[in-house]
Amino acid sequence: MTSERTQDWVDGIVHQLIRRAAKHAPDSLADRLEEEWLADMSERRGSLARLRFGIGCCWATNVIAREHVAAAPLAATVSPTPHRYFIRMREADSPFFTGRTITFMLVVSLHLAVLYGLAIGLGPTFIRTIAGPFESREIPPAPRINPPPLPLPNIPTRIDLPTSHDMSPLEPVQRDVMTGTPNEATPSEPAVAGLPQPQPIPVRRVEGGPGVGFPSTRDFYPDASIRREEQGIATVRACVDAKGRLISEPTMIQSAGFRRLDEAAVRLATAGSGRYRASTEDGKPVDSCYSLRIRFQLRN
Amino acid sequence: MGKEGHEVRMSLQTLKVLEAFLENPADQLSGADVHQRCHLASGTLYPILIRLETAGWFVSRWEAIDPSKAGRPRRRQYRLTPMGLRRASEVFAGFNRGVLA
Repeated sequence: MTSERTQDWVDGIVHQLIRRAAKHAPDSLADRLEEEWLADMSERRGSLARLRFGIGCCWATNVIAREHVAAAPLAATVSPTPHRYFIRMREADSPFFTGRTITFMLVVSLHLAVLYGLAIGLGPTFIRTIAGPFESREIPPAPRINPPPLPLPNIPTRIDLPTSHDMSPLEPVQRDVMTGTPNEATPSEPAVAGLPQPQPIPVRRVEGGPGVGFPSTRDFYPDASIRREEQGIATVRACVDAKGRLISEPTMIQSAGFRRLDEAAVRLATAGSGRYRASTEDGKPVDSCYSLRIRFQLRN
Repeated sequence: MGKEGHEVRMSLQTLKVLEAFLENPADQLSGADVHQRCHLASGTLYPILIRLETAGWFVSRWEAIDPSKAGRPRRRQYRLTPMGLRRASEVFAGFNRGVLA
């Protein structure tokens, strides 16, 4: 029912268009064109086709009227070469919606869409999407996370220590020797001469790396690289938390020399999230960043 | 209405219209019939028909039906004149199309 009403409504509009178009045609053609166009319009199926037909008739009227005026002075002119024809594209014969017009409209629409997208803030998202995984920028070294100095309660300071010529020079604490137990001396207890002077206890740090179950390069070796026998070592920087999970996207530090291998290395480093062995400080896992060398090597 | 000898400037769309008529030169085609064959928009098609008729290549007349009995309005039908047939054939022969050469 609604479609019928729409069809009737469109037909009414098209009838009006055709009648108005025919009125603007030369007098000798006006009545004929109106009847002819109304008859041909009834052959068109669909509201849109009829609407296009009506609009086209308006266009046709302009062309016919223009040519009718232009042809009048030439009515008695006889071509000197009646058997010769030349090909010339006439403006009047160009389709109502030429390819050029449609292309122009598409280009304008595309520009408007882009401007609209930028206006509503899609620009950064769009740029991130098309930017790709690699950027030619220098990655500054991440600041080393230095844990706060261990609290050394009740440790007498240097000033409190009695000076003694017999005091032996301080021995640096070996990295592999864990004292673990700070001096329990209290200020009330006088410092004993000869005791090693308290020093901030160095933190024993063990760098992390790929842990158990870390993905293998065999699973990430690109087929194209295998076919081309591309090999190399890519260095990727990965930052993981205490549980070995990535806390940021791995970044490429040194290329393997092939784009596909670099991409595969980043994918591998990403896939290994959760299987990294976290760095430890005094045996305690901590967040840390370190470089990961990923070797892509073919075996015969 | 026709003025034989009028120069008709050919365009791709005009050639399409002529080709539709040359398929069977004796046929009488309405604008709707030509549209079905050439798929030209009305804004392009009717100026060409009028132009060719003015040039004497076509003649047109109303369809001989009773609209009340046929249940539809009568159509304006176009047909190639002998001169139009000859000229159109010459045009296509010039393109080595071999139509009615």
